[in-house]
This record gives sequence, structure tokens and C-alpha cells, in this order.
Amino acid sequence: MSAALLAAAEAPAAGTSLTSELQGLAERLRRVTVRVATTGARFDGVGAGIIWPSSGQSIVMTNAHVVPRRRGDQLVVEDDAGNRADADVIARDAERDLALLALDAVPNGWPTAAFIGDARALRAGEIVVALGHPFGVGGALSFGIIHAAPKGDDSWVRADVRLAPGNSGGPLATLDGAIVGINCMIARGLGIAVPAHVADRFALEVLAR
Amino acid sequence: MTPTSRSETASTLRALSDDLSAAVERAARSVVAIHARPRIAASGIYWRDGVIVAASHTIRKEQEIAVTLPNGTRTTANLVGRDGGTDLAVLRLDTPPAASASLPEIAPADALRVGTLVLAVGRPSDDGVSTSLGVISAVSDRWRTWSGGEIDRFVRLDLSIYDGFSGGALVDADGRILGVNCSALARGTALTIPNATVDRVVDALLTRGHVARAYLGVAMQPARLTNALAERLKLDDPRGVLVVMVESDSPADRAGLLVGDLIVAAAGTSVAEPQDVAELLGGEQVGAALELKVIRGGERRTLTVTVGERAPAGEARRRGRAS
Repeated sequence: MSAALLAAAEAPAAGTSLTSELQGLAERLRRVTVRVATTGARFDGVGAGIIWPSSGQSIVMTNAHVVPRRRGDQLVVEDDAGNRADADVIARDAERDLALLALDAVPNGWPTAAFIGDARALRAGEIVVALGHPFGVGGALSFGIIHAAPKGDDSWVRADVRLAPGNSGGPLATLDGAIVGINCMIARGLGIAVPAHVADRFALEVLAR
Repeated sequence: MTPTSRSETASTLRALSDDLSAAVERAARSVVAIHARPRIAASGIYWRDGVIVAASHTIRKEQEIAVTLPNGTRTTANLVGRDGGTDLAVLRLDTPPAASASLPEIAPADALRVGTLVLAVGRPSDDGVSTSLGVISAVSDRWRTWSGGEIDRFVRLDLSIYDGFSGGALVDADGRILGVNCSALARGTALTIPNATVDRVVDALLTRGHVARAYLGVAMQPARLTNALAERLKLDDPRGVLVVMVESDSPADRAGLLVGDLIVAAAGTSVAEPQDVAELLGGEQVGAALELKVIRGGERRTLTVTVGERAPAGEARRRGRAS
């Protein structure tokens, strides 16, 4: 048995158990994950988004497919505590399935932004978690591992983690709570995410305009 | 707005995560990619010096099979033999891989326990290994696959066997190999073939080129005697298997078994289903004498059959074409 499993078996029930560590991680990720709801004449959709760091305005990163381009649609983001704000799409990158949202007005108590990690350092077998709203279930945690080390610097992050519609736009994170990917699709059972550094580069480019 | 700082590392989980990725890296040194079918490659394990084990259903060619070694270099191998019953195939590398592949660390048989955290490690392309996480969901006794293979333990997995993972390794959190993964033995269910079975099949394929299967040459169905007859013959159990066909010049034919005989015991064990007879016929029984107690014409008889060997599927086909 691995040393970590032995340690877990011997660990006291409170504070250091695997379960409480996962619960703590889920809570931290819930604070930086929002619900992205589009309401329109022909389409109601719910996806996830990540409160993204920025030196200026309050922004949220999500998938382009979560916020389809439709005239008259209303976009609302809502944090885990129930704070809501109207938002606008300020930029899209259809190729990378990314969209950047800006809040019209920042509600009181809006959470601080997520910590962004580096997908290029991921190892196959490393534990990762995903947070999102699969099938509308709010703030659900999925547990898995990195399926394979990244093929290249900007290649998709592939994770052996169970995702569902509603996870789109939400975070894939390491155990430090660092965001390493934006979940965007399921391919033959594998979770596929846009690497966080690619999304961050996109955000910096947009905000520098 | 400033990003939240990295909080203290989740210690137990982090240690587990490090163990898992280290286990993948360790196993990766023995897992190769095999390019013996169109499109997606499949996995194989460097099992012995110069010898690779793979899943038979992923091997569509027999010679000059391209193999990607753990260090990314390509080499070639030839098929030594295959066993459809266990879906295992053995390949021999044309040149020894030297330091570019290492033999796996084999876990003891008692490591196969329900609930054990396991990783499937495959190499479905030249881009490196990939992996999935899960647990062993069921372990039970020796079983026989629908295609007749004998597998020492039935090991069912709760994890994803992705495309190209068949022939890859199931490893524990220490990176020790528990078996060879296969999705083709039970309708896509993720299973692992335990090390003991793999060793037995590899031995057979390296020495004989095929796995011996015992053969009697009879078709059987369950049947029972009347209670009165069973009582008269002093049989505890009125059940047996009825011989409904005897292949000519087969071991059963040579031993004098006839259609209509009711087999009530084989090798001293009472039998009630054709499966009971089949269970007594492991590959190691080839050439051995099998004592059958039969009821014929209301009387007990004892016949001795010399167990024969079933021709390997490939040879049977070739012979069939020739005749």
C-alpha cells in the first residue's frame, strides 16, 4: 500500500482526513465559480464560469458555447452566496471556446478571483477536481486524475474525470485549488479543458485593448 | 481585485496525488504502444526479456509489428502466438530494447482485493502514456471465458478502459502490476487478467506457440434418472449429463462412449451439468486418463478416456481449408 494511503488510514478523523481536505477544496472552488445563465426568447441555458483575476474591472471566464451569440439575450452571473449581477460578453475566442464576461456592477460581497495555475506542469495520474453545475445541480464536485501529460504547451488538458453538460466553463483544479483548465467538452468519456494559461493570455490580450 | 493566495497544501491528498503520478511514471517504463491494427494503437507490457504481452484482439498482423518503446523510440516485433480464450498475445522484439524498457514490478496475488485503488496505464499513441483511476470492484474465483480460456481470478474494475488501453497494465498506488487490462472478454466490461494467468499463457505460447485445451469429443446435456432407477443403482444424486453426440475417432469414441450414455461422475466427482465435466478438463489434463462413471442400459459402467488436445483455432482453420 502506498505511504499516502497508509497515512490516510492512520490519520485522525478530523482536520487531516482525505474527506475533509476534499470538502475544503470544494468550498474554495465554489467561492470562485459562478453560475452563468442566459435568458432569451428561444433559449435558456446554464453553464459555469470562473471569477478571473484582473487589475481593473470584475471579469468572469467561461466557454463561448455557454453564452451563444443571440440578440436580446440577457446574461446573469450568480456566485455561490447568491449574489447576482448582469454581465456582458466583452470578447470571444470561438476556436478555443472561450468567452470573457464583464460585470455591469459588482455586488457587495463578490468573491475575490481564482488562483490561476499552470497546466504545462501537470503529470499523468495527478489528482484534479472539477466544479460546475452538471445537469443544473449547483456547485457539484467531480474527482479524477490527469489522463496524460500535455502534448504541447497549449494543448488541451485531458482528465479522467466525469463531466456533464453544466460543467462547461467551470474550473478544473489541482489540490492547491489552482485553476489549470476551463472544462469545455467530453470526448469519449474524457474531460477536455482549455489550459488556464491560454485563457489567461486571452484575458490579458482583451484587457490590454 | 487580487487573487486569493495559495493556501497550505492539502497534505494527505497531495501525498496520494504524488504517489499516483509516481506510480504512473514507474509503470510507464514497462508499457509500450503496439501498432498492429488500423487507426488507434493499443498497449502492451514488456513482460520478460525481449517479450511483450498484448491483447490478442488488438493484433491484426503477425510480422513486422511496429512497437513504440517507453522512451519514444520505435522498433519491430513478431507475433509468437496468441490465445483467443484469454485474449492474450505474445510478441518478441527483433532487437533487445536494452535500457529503453524495463521489466515491471509484479504485485503478489493477494494484492487483488476489492476496494484497492488502481490505475490503468496504457500507451494508445506515440504521445506518451495515459491513465485512468478507479478501484477493483469485484474479485472472485477461477472462471472460464465464453471462448474457453481459463482465468485464475475474475477481476472486475470500476474504471474507464479508454480506446487503446487493452493490453495495458493495471497497477496499484505503488506502481506494481496487478494484471493486463482487457475490454474484450466480457462485452466491454473492464477486466484485468491476473499475473498468474498471464505467466501461464506466456509460458505456453513461448514453448508451444499455443495454449493446450483438453478435448473429449462429446456433446452433452443435463438429464436425470428416475428415482426408482437411481435407488436401484444406489446413486445419491439422480442427475447426470447425457451424451447426445460422439465425434468419430475422438478420445470419447476411442474409449467406447456411446450416444445415450448418462455420465454421473467424472474423476470421482459427480456431475450434473456439462459445465461440471468441462471444469475437470484444464489444459494440463491433456494426455491424462479420465475415469467416467456412466449408466448404460440401466447398468453402471466405468470407462477410461485418454484426454485429447483440441487443435488451436488457427490450425483447425488451416486444416479445414486444406481438406
